[in-house]
Amino acid sequence: MSNSGMNQRAFQGALSYGTSPEQCQRIHHASLEILERTGVRLYLQEAVDLARKGGADVTDGNLVRLPSGMVEKAFTTVPKRVVLCDRHGNRVMAVEGCRCFYGPGSDTLNLIDHRTGERRKPVLKDVEEGIILCDALPNIDFVMSMVIPTDVNQTICDRHQMEIMLARTTKPIIFVTYDTSGCLDAIEMAEAVVGDADALRRNPICACYINVTTGLRHNGEALEKLLFLSGKGLPALYIPQETGGVTSPVTAAGTLAMVNAGMLAGLVLSQLKREGAPFVMPGWDCSYLDMRTMVRHYADPSKHALPQALAHYYNLPMFSLGGASDSKVVDQQAAAEAALTLLSSTLGGGNIIHDLGYLESGLTFSFAQLAICAEIVSWVKTFARGEEVNDETLNLDEIHRAGPDGRFMDSAHTLRHYKERFYPDLFERANYETWVKRGSKTMVERASDKVSQILAQHQPEPLPADIAKRLREIVQRAEAKAQ
Amino acid sequence: MTLLDDLRQNVIDGNAPGTQSLVKQAMSEGMPPEKILNDGLISAMAEVGRLFEAGEYFVPEMLVSARAMKGGLELLRPALAAANVQAIGKVVIGTVQGDLHDIGKNLVAIMLEGAGFEIVDLGNDVSPQKFVDAVNAHKPHLVGMSALLTTTMPKMKMTMEALSAAGVRGNVKVMIGGAPVTEKYAMDIGADFYAPDASSAATRAKAAVQGK
Repeated sequence: MSNSGMNQRAFQGALSYGTSPEQCQRIHHASLEILERTGVRLYLQEAVDLARKGGADVTDGNLVRLPSGMVEKAFTTVPKRVVLCDRHGNRVMAVEGCRCFYGPGSDTLNLIDHRTGERRKPVLKDVEEGIILCDALPNIDFVMSMVIPTDVNQTICDRHQMEIMLARTTKPIIFVTYDTSGCLDAIEMAEAVVGDADALRRNPICACYINVTTGLRHNGEALEKLLFLSGKGLPALYIPQETGGVTSPVTAAGTLAMVNAGMLAGLVLSQLKREGAPFVMPGWDCSYLDMRTMVRHYADPSKHALPQALAHYYNLPMFSLGGASDSKVVDQQAAAEAALTLLSSTLGGGNIIHDLGYLESGLTFSFAQLAICAEIVSWVKTFARGEEVNDETLNLDEIHRAGPDGRFMDSAHTLRHYKERFYPDLFERANYETWVKRGSKTMVERASDKVSQILAQHQPEPLPADIAKRLREIVQRAEAKAQ
Repeated sequence: MTLLDDLRQNVIDGNAPGTQSLVKQAMSEGMPPEKILNDGLISAMAEVGRLFEAGEYFVPEMLVSARAMKGGLELLRPALAAANVQAIGKVVIGTVQGDLHDIGKNLVAIMLEGAGFEIVDLGNDVSPQKFVDAVNAHKPHLVGMSALLTTTMPKMKMTMEALSAAGVRGNVKVMIGGAPVTEKYAMDIGADFYAPDASSAATRAKAAVQGK
């Protein structure tokens, strides 16, 4: 595996930092109570029928109450891990336990141009540049679309995004589509890349991020996508959205109980559709509306610790959040919020950690911010890896041989090990004079330079011409229908 | 690849046995020792310095290259003496009195050696008088002083005064460095130049002795 996502520190402390197993159990029981007592509305007949057949109590057409036993049964068939692969079928992301993987977010409305600093509407070329950048950055493990291109038909820009993601990187893809037909096209494209449906199920190169209206209101398209993907045995990230104080209680526990009830309803449906279907739960969302600004913010200290602990309590793979900021520009707030959320999500053992590079509470993307996040990840990964303590790393014989006046600079031990230590790329450690000589550049300038340099040099591995042609045909087919 | 290219590459790669055998081969083929030194060993170390400044080489790699270069130089030295080839300059270097830190000073010495200088390393905790004695004994072109502590920096000034009092200040150029030292401090105490790090120390020392 090219990236193990190993995380020693989280293995020691995922459940212990601030959240007890008793608290997780309490949330679980609360969600079961909501499902049994209050119920969820399913805006898709197939889902209602499936739930009824599985033992649910259906009233008022689509209000579905799920007895606890249905939930417990789903837990006996859902896999505890999901493995995502690169284009060549290498199993590079074992989404399990406390392993952490990092990538950008999807679909922002604005982009801060790293060349000019201008905040503007994104175009298709930006999606392409973003994916090439992700392909080159070693600490980015998977890709998402990052921005919404405004120079193509808006109803089908998800097809353009998917085409570019499949063509311009070999890394695993988390995709988002507007409607169900977009999801079908995305999967058809992925199947074209790996060969066929069986190849994609054995070695999935992509997973679909499904936004669900709220925990207790499941929109038809979310359910359609969930049942389509589950039916094919492909991974779905089923993420109900709540906004504390608006659609759910303002408290973290109350909001999470509702988000989690929605997750459990999705889990039950996925397993009713196909036992063993891979399913990924949310690793965040105790969100609330900021009552001062009316903004649904991203970098909040109470957003993800509890949900991450809950995912570990269930031993289910989770989709997590980190590296996102509420700042409007790439500045000190952006760097601080990115660092804090990446570190805390990693300490919590979040698995698929997304939204690196997000600014303005998810409305704006910045490639420079993404490069800074990737740098922070290199620090966090080194921290999470922990240190080895053994005879070789203690090196006592050499300490004694060298004595109090000894030198280690050109010793064989130093030569063997010095590269194992952390060497940052964008974090500046050079002395003042060297920094001045290199142009007295701030972190943002260095990150922007790095983005420009990568875009000028990096050549992602191309798709075979016949496959690229097939993807183009699928996009053109969608374009023709959208006319 | 020519013999000299091969020699340079061995120094850059830090291959000490390879460097020695290529120096031997060059000598047995009758290549002038000065050419082996300048176009082989010193030219390779200039490239190593460049790689270090570009962030591609780390200190241990630079040290291994310097060690390979030094091994080659040992073999070459008798021939250089016979041909009356001088080092580009001689440097007396040390950490000033009261200061036991010498990592930076050692790095500077290694870089200077790589640039073709002959080094007289006085170690650390070097008194002003010891600097004066060494200047009298070795007749260097340059004196290099280092300090890591703000509390030992004044010893640099005292050493300058001792060199003047002994009447040898005019015979040498003085370079200083170390974390608390600045360009301004160098000018204040009458030193000839300041270097913020080991590789620029080598570049500036070379420029100083060549009168640039």
